[in-house]
Amino acid sequence: MTTRERLSKILVKNYKIDPTRLTLDGPLEELGIDSLGMAELLFFIEDEFKVQLPFDPVPLPTLGDAVSYIDGLLTAQHIPETPVIAGIAPPAAPHRPV
Amino acid sequence: MKRVAVTGIGMVSPLGNIATEVLANATAGRSAICRIDEPWCKRLVSPLAACVNFSGDEHFAAPKLRMLDRVSQFAIVAARQAVGDARFDFENADRQRVGVFVGTGMGGSQTSDDGYHTLYAEQSDRIKPFTILMGMTNAPAAWIGIEYELTGPNLTYSTACSSSAVSIGEAWMRLRNGDLDVAIAGGAEAPLSLGALKAWEVLHTLAREDPFDASKSCKPFSKSRSGMVLGEGATIFVLEDWERAIRRRATIHGELIGYGVTTDTSHITRPSVAGQAAAMRAALQAAGCVPASIDTINAHGTGTQANDSVETAAIKEVFGERAYRIPISATKAIHGHLLGASGALEFALCLLAMQHDILLPTMHLELAAEDCDLDYVPNCARHNVKFDTIMSNSFAFGGTNAVLVARSARSAAVRCGQNN
Repeated sequence: MTTRERLSKILVKNYKIDPTRLTLDGPLEELGIDSLGMAELLFFIEDEFKVQLPFDPVPLPTLGDAVSYIDGLLTAQHIPETPVIAGIAPPAAPHRPV
Repeated sequence: MKRVAVTGIGMVSPLGNIATEVLANATAGRSAICRIDEPWCKRLVSPLAACVNFSGDEHFAAPKLRMLDRVSQFAIVAARQAVGDARFDFENADRQRVGVFVGTGMGGSQTSDDGYHTLYAEQSDRIKPFTILMGMTNAPAAWIGIEYELTGPNLTYSTACSSSAVSIGEAWMRLRNGDLDVAIAGGAEAPLSLGALKAWEVLHTLAREDPFDASKSCKPFSKSRSGMVLGEGATIFVLEDWERAIRRRATIHGELIGYGVTTDTSHITRPSVAGQAAAMRAALQAAGCVPASIDTINAHGTGTQANDSVETAAIKEVFGERAYRIPISATKAIHGHLLGASGALEFALCLLAMQHDILLPTMHLELAAEDCDLDYVPNCARHNVKFDTIMSNSFAFGGTNAVLVARSARSAAVRCGQNN
């Protein structure tokens, strides 16, 4: 399963989001996940991908941003199925959640 | 002083989630108290509760639901019902003159319980990121304010079991003074977690299970009463400046005419006859009523040894010989004790019963205690009894006694006290 598929599965299961609305460039905020919701989504990402994210919030405005960030983490660590420490910068975000 | 109309009632309660259903069940004396079936119930001496039939995902989109403790879910849904019942359109209101007043004793206690479980039982640091937002006591009021973009005062009252009587009364004071046009006021509680139930149990306040019928375990004013049963739910009202309600031709459920609040200072839990009586007198005075004006009382009536005897004595102190002729209903026998939401639910029952000429029964009262010798409308409702002025009592650990007085819409034009 690809990163996008695994992430989409989380969004469908935990946020009851219609899969047809999950486009790579669609803002997650429009799906009901604002900067506050992102704090919880990052927990789910950590659990699903067995990675540890930095303590500070990571701005991931779109599904595509999240997929890229997770792939970057997994690639940087070269051990995709085991826990790794996040050490890379998040992708450039169009705006920073407040 | 302004007059205050009750123009909307919304309820999520063990007796039902629609006002007509709640009244029908209360009239029939159908108890919502039952054994709860959770894996952790074996750790409770009497695993009893009055639960709400409610599913949050029927009311909220999943991303929002993840941020709402059960207590906030109840409060928002009850507020929606109340606003719908009042046919209130906030588009035409000055939202800074609309306030939110919510009472809750334990707030988002389930969220706190879950967080402690993660932190201490599972030894994990992965507590839910929304724990503070969900657990904070003012979350229910805040969410109601957000729902309708109400920018007036948004206040939460936490005086244990009198919380929502206080919230309604404090809202009434602001409306009466003309500080606000409208108030969304009431209470919400969702205390049915192991942590809360166990904490109440070890205080020796909870009822023993009736050996023959668990639904009859709460027995207010009975010789065999053994305590209260916890319940959950929310009741929210739209309170409105009377003239405004008349102008927009709102349906008026009743007029809130008095509120009295006093504090017992002798003990943190032990109720006092003097304090309860003083609250009833204060409410009568605020209402401009004499004791003879009160047609019926919804008692605090928890079913605990201490409360029911003290409340009976306090009613006698205020009403004298007339106390024996005032029908008194203790509806906690069937909906349980909703703690901070109880006062609001019972006030709603008073208004609905008054609208339908029904005196609600005190169920499970086969033999009253010797010192509980008033007319508690035992076991059977009385129909076709027209009455126009009600009193609703709410008392609390911590000592805050709150009493509300209301009169029927049909008699609202007649000055209280001139009827008798």
